[in-house]
Amino acid sequence: MASRPDPRADRRLLLAWLVAIFVLSAVRDPRWLAGAGLLAALGFRRGLQATLRRTLRSVVPVTAGLSLASLGWVRLVSGGWPPLEPFLALGLRAAVIGLLTFAVLARVDLLAALAPFPLLTRLLVVTLAQVHALRLLSTESQEGLRSRLPRRPGPLDLLRGAGGITAMLFTLATRNARDISDAMRSRGF
Amino acid sequence: MHLPDGFLSPQLTLPALAVAVPLAAWGARRHFGREAAEALPVMGTLTALAFVIQTIMIPVPGGTSTHLVGVTLLALLFGPLAAFVCEGLVLLMQALFFGAGGVTVWGVNALAMGLVGPLAGWLAWRLLRRLSPRVALFIAGWLSTQVATLAVAGVLALQHRLDPLLFPVEPAVTLAAMMVPSLTVAGVVEGLYTVFAYSLVRRANLRGVPT
Repeated sequence: MASRPDPRADRRLLLAWLVAIFVLSAVRDPRWLAGAGLLAALGFRRGLQATLRRTLRSVVPVTAGLSLASLGWVRLVSGGWPPLEPFLALGLRAAVIGLLTFAVLARVDLLAALAPFPLLTRLLVVTLAQVHALRLLSTESQEGLRSRLPRRPGPLDLLRGAGGITAMLFTLATRNARDISDAMRSRGF
Repeated sequence: MHLPDGFLSPQLTLPALAVAVPLAAWGARRHFGREAAEALPVMGTLTALAFVIQTIMIPVPGGTSTHLVGVTLLALLFGPLAAFVCEGLVLLMQALFFGAGGVTVWGVNALAMGLVGPLAGWLAWRLLRRLSPRVALFIAGWLSTQVATLAVAGVLALQHRLDPLLFPVEPAVTLAAMMVPSLTVAGVVEGLYTVFAYSLVRRANLRGVPT
């Protein structure tokens, strides 16, 4: 997330993005959506490759997969192919909104923009820290399990070890969360 | 289970936001005020746990996707309103930091997965806990998933009714595609998770968790 010096400019950009995605969520014509996508790509040229890659990786496969599955399902149930245009529009709409979202969020410092809301900032920081801590601890515990077994651990091994590990993870994460929360509270959040 | 941006029109997303935003603000003031400093770390940890659980998604044809929610536990420990605020935060983080779910559909997702589902689970648990605490916990988790999924499927059906060109999938297809994985897999695992995690939190006797 690139930092910008002015949180007010970030808030203005976030507001414009909010309006744009709500407007886009009502557009049904694939041509309009393609035009909006092109405009978004031109407007956010810096870092476009990375934004496109992120959109392709996270938004397009889900929507395309769902649309294809839906088409197949309708074909199976009704015996005929439904019109393709609404499905194309659905995929394009999600992709253009995704592209715009990733492009805008890469340009704003979200935590700085949230500065007027200290309680939300505190909860967000505590939760985000725990998300990272839980992911790290879970990877480490899996590595530990792998090192203790002469073979690759299967689902049953993971399940057997899950109880003790989860208890430990939870206790550690809560202690960690309390430390962060106390530290932030003492700094006025 | 939760909807991505682009699946619903402002006809549905704006009224949902008009209900969800003030409710979340009220809930946050009530549960995350200065006096709630003790509970905040545990809530943050459980919210993070719910977040991690919700990132494991199974796409389903005709609808969206299915996954565990993990928020029923928060409803049972801190009340449905606190669960709603925490789930709202999970959905916001998913949309803003990880590109999952969406911002326009935040209200619909938060109301379905954070309020309606956990509220049903919480009510079931209150009714049944005297009979058998473990069974009540399992039913709370299972029911919460079913009600939340049904709510999301209902909104998609309503969108199809309002504008079939915007969401072209038939309601019957959406309902079947979303409810089957929810009834058979997600609900059962959510029930087991609720039993296990609730017992764990109670045994750990954590500071800030109401008794």
